[in-house]
Amino acid sequence: MLIQFAIKNFLRQGLRSILNVLITAITIVTVIFNLSLLNGFQARATLNMVKTDVAGGHYRIAGFDLLSPTEWEDHTGLVPDSLKALPEDQKAETLILQGQIFPNNRLYPVQMRGVGPGQELLDLPLQGLKRFPEKITDQIPVVIGTKMAERTHLKQGDSVVLKWRDKFGAVDARDILVVDVVKLLNPRVDEGMVWLRLDHLQDMARREGEVSWVAVELFQGPVPDMEFHSVDDLMKDLLILLKNDRRNSIILWIILMFLAGISVFNTQILNVFKRQKEIGTLLALGVESKQVVRIFTWEGAVTAGISVVVAGLIAVPLFMWFQTVGLDVSHLEESTIPVRDAIFLEFNPFEIFYSITVVVALTILVAWLPVRKISHMDPTLALRGKAIT
Amino acid sequence: MLELKQVSKTYRVGNQDFPALKNISLTIEENAFMSFVGPSGSGKTTLLNLMGGLDRPTSGQVLFDGAQLESMNRSELAQIRKQHIGFIFQSHNLLPVYSVYENVLFPLLLNHLKEQDARERVMALVEKVGLTEQANKKPAELSGGQCQRVAIARALIKRPKLVLADEPTANLDTENSFRILELMQDLNEQYGAAFVFSTHDQRVTQFINREVRLEDGAVLWDKAKNGNGELE
Ligand SMILES: Nc1ncnc2c1ncn2[C@@H]1O[C@H](COP(=O)(O)OP(=O)(O)OP(=O)(O)O)[C@@H](O)[C@H]1O
Ligand SMILES: [Mg+2]
Repeated sequence: MLIQFAIKNFLRQGLRSILNVLITAITIVTVIFNLSLLNGFQARATLNMVKTDVAGGHYRIAGFDLLSPTEWEDHTGLVPDSLKALPEDQKAETLILQGQIFPNNRLYPVQMRGVGPGQELLDLPLQGLKRFPEKITDQIPVVIGTKMAERTHLKQGDSVVLKWRDKFGAVDARDILVVDVVKLLNPRVDEGMVWLRLDHLQDMARREGEVSWVAVELFQGPVPDMEFHSVDDLMKDLLILLKNDRRNSIILWIILMFLAGISVFNTQILNVFKRQKEIGTLLALGVESKQVVRIFTWEGAVTAGISVVVAGLIAVPLFMWFQTVGLDVSHLEESTIPVRDAIFLEFNPFEIFYSITVVVALTILVAWLPVRKISHMDPTLALRGKAIT
Repeated sequence: MLELKQVSKTYRVGNQDFPALKNISLTIEENAFMSFVGPSGSGKTTLLNLMGGLDRPTSGQVLFDGAQLESMNRSELAQIRKQHIGFIFQSHNLLPVYSVYENVLFPLLLNHLKEQDARERVMALVEKVGLTEQANKKPAELSGGQCQRVAIARALIKRPKLVLADEPTANLDTENSFRILELMQDLNEQYGAAFVFSTHDQRVTQFINREVRLEDGAVLWDKAKNGNGELE
């Protein structure tokens, strides 16, 4: 009975009720959208990293550190037999060396990355390199990403001088031929990188059979002279970045929740103030003051209940539409986030449940706060409209 | 049924005590149909509130069916009001979101009756106050007299032992006042509830059988009607 009464009163507030419901519903939708977008973002970024670089982890030559380019040359080695024996779709042998190119007579340091031309583990568009023979004949065939092409003003078919050091420290220089400019899913393996055939790079550096790491699909157990780096390990920086994004979205959530809370709070204060006579009447009729508090709290809390429904009505078509277009994040090319294609929402039922619960609980709380004072109200003063002035 | 023993009520205004009621002793009979009269500020409303357990005296005792109201907590007082006391206010104070029917039904629901069991009883009383056609209207759609009749029905539906009506006719024209007073007189005879009004409306006098005059918070006189229908 009290709930029915509360709902009737809620409806009586008309525009104010609608406003409260809308802002609360928008809070719910925004929170779920944000969290799900971050999930989608994380899933996509992780997937791109895995597909283009990380795979199921790296067996790296002990001591190799991608962030210390001057030491790349010191940490190469032969591929152990156990890894060598893996089929092409379960490993990608990779050699990383420093080099410099000179587009338009400017020096441009690059990472030369040689990948086995036959590997099928990583999703890299390096088909252009396949048709070349194992031994370099004329120019060295390379593939670069679109970002790299833009930076260096190189196009498909261009040649440019590449300088590098071989295993014994001798500097070598030769023309490379850009056989392909490709779109790489992961900007991290685009800018500053020149992709070569592994056999070519080994040949150029006189490092027959040597690699920096072997990307594998599955952990193969300990391998002598190599360190295994897990997926989590290799993506640590990315995961930290995403955690920050999550924190930012919580700030947005707090702001929205604050607005919704203030709106409901205000309505409730006005309710208590404007409806003192009604409160007095209820008390005179024998309704206990704590029941009156409950009625008024329910009135505010109904906002939460209806908001959840409205949020559903907004969210379902909105999210369905969003899933058909996705969010274009091509602007992230400039950052180091490994996403360049559109991202989509990825829903986590627990997160959705949790967000809704928090919003509903907070709404009930702010609906209750201003009406608490009813329980101390003098009914005779309330009847005269003078309990609160 | 109701007994006031040396009841006083003092309000504190600023840092001064203001005595609104001074040492009032009264006994109200089971079937009373009586009125407090007196100028504005004489303490009528204050007295009714004390009798209904809506307020507490500064000193003295209020006994309802022998039970001391001042020894009860808020919740117990609410129980008494819920079960035994009907309030009618100067302005009707109906619940605006409820229809006539629902307003009258409300006290029964509070007393844990089911709507299906209460429906007939509510409609019978709504008919008695002449509002059958308006049963589904909201208070905002009714006239002042109609609203006051709803308020009376709401006060009576639970068959209270005591009905306290604070200036029930103050907002009504003569015709409506008479109709309402006749109605209450009827109900008093039928249901045997004690009716206590407060008023400074002279028109009320001809209906009641006891009149207590208050002035400055004290009883000036207390007259009952004799066999000739005169107060003495
Ligand atoms: N809460 C209060 N605080 C201070 N003074 C009060 C309070 N309630 C009533 N009074 C004072 O007590 C006196 C009696 O008030 P009460 O309302 O009982 O008079 P009344 O006879 O009902 O008057 P009226 O005919 O105008 O309704 C008045 O002087 C009033 O100002
Ligand atoms: Mg009064």
